[in-house]
Amino acid sequence: MTHAAAVMRSPAGRELGAGVYNEKLGIWVFLGSEVMFFTALIGSYIILRFANPGAFAHPGTVLNIPVTATNTFLLICSSVTMVKAFAAANMGDMAKMKLYLVATTLIGAAFVGVQIYEYTHLIHAGFLPSGIREGSELAELAAAGELGLGTADPAVAGVYGSSFYTMTGFHGFHVTCGVVCLAYLSINAFRGKYTQADHRGIEVVGLYWHFVDLVWIILFTIVYLV
Amino acid sequence: MTTAAADAHELSFVRKYIFSTDHKIIGIQFLLMSLVFLFVGGLLAMLVRWQQGFPNEPIPGGGVLPETMAPGGILLPEFYNSLVTMHGTFMVFFAIMPLLVGVFGNYLIPLKIGAPDMAFPRLNMWSFWIAVPAGTLMLAGFFVEGGHAAAGWTSYAPLSAVSEYSGVSAGQKIWLLSIAILGLSSILGATNYITTVVNLRAPGMTWFRLPLSIWALFITAILVLLAIPILSGAAIMLFFDQTLGTHFFDATGGGQPLLWQHLFWYFGHPEVYILILPAMGMVSDIIANGSRKPVFGYHSMVYAIIAIAFLGWIVWGHHMFQSGMNPTLGTGFMISTLLIAVPSAIKVFNWMGTMWEGNLRFHVPMLHGIAFVTMFVIGGLSGIFMASTPVDIYIHDTYFIVAHIHYVLFGGSLFAIFGAVTFWYPKMFGRLMNPFWGKVHWALTFVFFNCTFFPMHTLGVYGHMRRIYDPTQYEFLKPLMGLNKFITISALLLFASQIIFVVNFVWGWFWGAKAGNNPWEDNGLEWTLPSPPAHGNFATVPIVHHGPYEFSAPGVTEDYLPQNHPPLQVGAGKEGR
Amino acid sequence: MTDTQGSQAAHDEHFAHPNYWLVWAALAVMTLVELGVAFLPWSRSVIVLTLVVLALWKALLVALYFMHLRFEQNRMRIFALAPLPLAVIIVIAVLTEFVW
Repeated sequence: MTHAAAVMRSPAGRELGAGVYNEKLGIWVFLGSEVMFFTALIGSYIILRFANPGAFAHPGTVLNIPVTATNTFLLICSSVTMVKAFAAANMGDMAKMKLYLVATTLIGAAFVGVQIYEYTHLIHAGFLPSGIREGSELAELAAAGELGLGTADPAVAGVYGSSFYTMTGFHGFHVTCGVVCLAYLSINAFRGKYTQADHRGIEVVGLYWHFVDLVWIILFTIVYLV
Repeated sequence: MTTAAADAHELSFVRKYIFSTDHKIIGIQFLLMSLVFLFVGGLLAMLVRWQQGFPNEPIPGGGVLPETMAPGGILLPEFYNSLVTMHGTFMVFFAIMPLLVGVFGNYLIPLKIGAPDMAFPRLNMWSFWIAVPAGTLMLAGFFVEGGHAAAGWTSYAPLSAVSEYSGVSAGQKIWLLSIAILGLSSILGATNYITTVVNLRAPGMTWFRLPLSIWALFITAILVLLAIPILSGAAIMLFFDQTLGTHFFDATGGGQPLLWQHLFWYFGHPEVYILILPAMGMVSDIIANGSRKPVFGYHSMVYAIIAIAFLGWIVWGHHMFQSGMNPTLGTGFMISTLLIAVPSAIKVFNWMGTMWEGNLRFHVPMLHGIAFVTMFVIGGLSGIFMASTPVDIYIHDTYFIVAHIHYVLFGGSLFAIFGAVTFWYPKMFGRLMNPFWGKVHWALTFVFFNCTFFPMHTLGVYGHMRRIYDPTQYEFLKPLMGLNKFITISALLLFASQIIFVVNFVWGWFWGAKAGNNPWEDNGLEWTLPSPPAHGNFATVPIVHHGPYEFSAPGVTEDYLPQNHPPLQVGAGKEGR
Repeated sequence: MTDTQGSQAAHDEHFAHPNYWLVWAALAVMTLVELGVAFLPWSRSVIVLTLVVLALWKALLVALYFMHLRFEQNRMRIFALAPLPLAVIIVIAVLTEFVW
């Protein structure tokens, strides 16, 4: 039994617990709390949508689907590069690990960039957290019935903007935290901190990153496409 | 894995006592912080009680309060609303919860499972140091324009969402931010506790050899992990309603006020189990010790804790019977709420069974433990009344509810906390609190507590509403003013009695009788260590051979048997569970 | 010091790695399918149901393969699954306020 193998498993000399090392158990436990946090936000959106269907525009009329579909694809790519980085470390190929880590970091940063671009355009067009801005381009479209809102009164569409920005905003915040962690991992990797014997950081941040991707997969569908 | 964490390098005072990563120091830090907030909460309650007992009469010494709060020492109605709000807020979030989870979770878990520290000691330090600014921010809310949050500790929208309705703007935002920050501290702590209990138990410390205090803290940590984020999400949405003009809870923009109540209570009900389960667990340890007997029905106690935690997720609507929610949903909640009384009752009978024919030692922690059981029964019984929707429709938002809350939170949790502090004080500080004054404090608290809160049942049934500024504005409440005055005087005496506890606590630190390793002759692993234990706790990893309650075990000379005592030689071969 | 994690050794030293690129391709294709479905002339409930099923399937793929739940012990799967019923309960319960 090598010390190396011992590090990536449970703490030795203890009762058999989860069967995995502390940090890995810790991140899964923490992700449980994140599920509940997004449940509050996304669950509220679902509820508000059923309560007031007329307040939500038809897909594609307000939100930019091509841009965000591309962003979805980017995030999926970053997920595969993340797990490839972990697999590389696991197999002892540190060069590949570094490559994939940097790739994940950059793609993640790109996602955030695209989301900022999306937000600025939406705000410019008049889509705000408080609803549709009076006198804006979208307000005119709403009045003309182009958005599929159940009512022509843009004030009622308030809950649409509220839920959109809160959900995607907090998701974006989580992605940003992830990118910061990934940058930190990449720097560490180039300093030779990770070995085949001990690459816990990669796995732990990886699990967080996949979770963030998972949440986006759900968000993209139920916010943009439905 | 290294055994003892014998730190060769000398840590500075700041690293050792301020930014400590040692769970024992962090536990004590939480203790000092929480006691301060317990005092603040109590002080606010005194102001509330003054107004209820002697409405529109100047408070003695009230001249120190500014004009914006109490001109001429008479509380303004707006200030009164913030007082009831902040009393609840400070007591729930900054006193009881950190006392149970932050103090005893931190202090007891590693010691009682045989670990050198928490799984993530630095994260633990962050948990404390994130809670401090949250508390400071919450205090600051009193000094902003418009006053502090005044929509109740439950912060119902739309009152809390729209500044024009309450006149409070910055105060409500501060409340929400503070709660969100505290939530992060709690979630990090819960992650730490769960990982520690799962992965760091010493060899031989199987799940069913864990003391009930640890079981309770573990299950509570799971509740914290999963319930607090709901509050965080809801608080963020409410904050955005206040600041960004979103419309989550505002009907004019397509929002739903009832959504706030559902989200809040989906968190709120597990929260009240967070506020009672650790108390129950510690009381089990204390009563077993004071009875010199194993806990009656240890396994069913564990299953009862788990059942309470499970069922606690599907009862939240009983806070909302009067809200206008779907009545069919309400019926479902009535049934689930009545059900949850069962595991709690099992626990009560088991505590009684533990004491039955025990070699009773009425030390101060035991007295508090007994008070816990009896007062919790009363609080639980009033809960049965409220669980029934038709009854609740009458007594909702009256003082009957206030009576229930305080019987379970004060009569329950706080007595357990007094007992637990007294019990583990020698381990924390190496000295004992004075037992005589401990008993005096207990007796006075018990009497004045009941004088304060029992009459509130009567007030409630007569129709006295909660959170109202001046009861005398209602003709039908005027006959109750005598009772209100009685309650207020009892409350003031109750508050004054706590001085004894504070003095005893401080006195003990410097002049208490020195405590050996095991002054209570208890079985937990912490009592095999010096008082206080060294950094890293155990010099060698303890091996556990027995369950936690081997009191008066046959074949053992002493009437207790520490968990890591070598297996018994005697032929019977039963070494505990 | 007894080693209580012996059975873990074999598992972790040869960590199973599925074909991640295959999973990536599946995710990409399913995303395209979703984009198509969203604009088909079907009834609204059918579209929404199909999209939700597709999204959940994609999420499941990420959880099982990228987060390795497919290869973990049951214990870990329980940790991962535990919050999900709670998420479902609150949404369904509150929906009955509006959809009953």
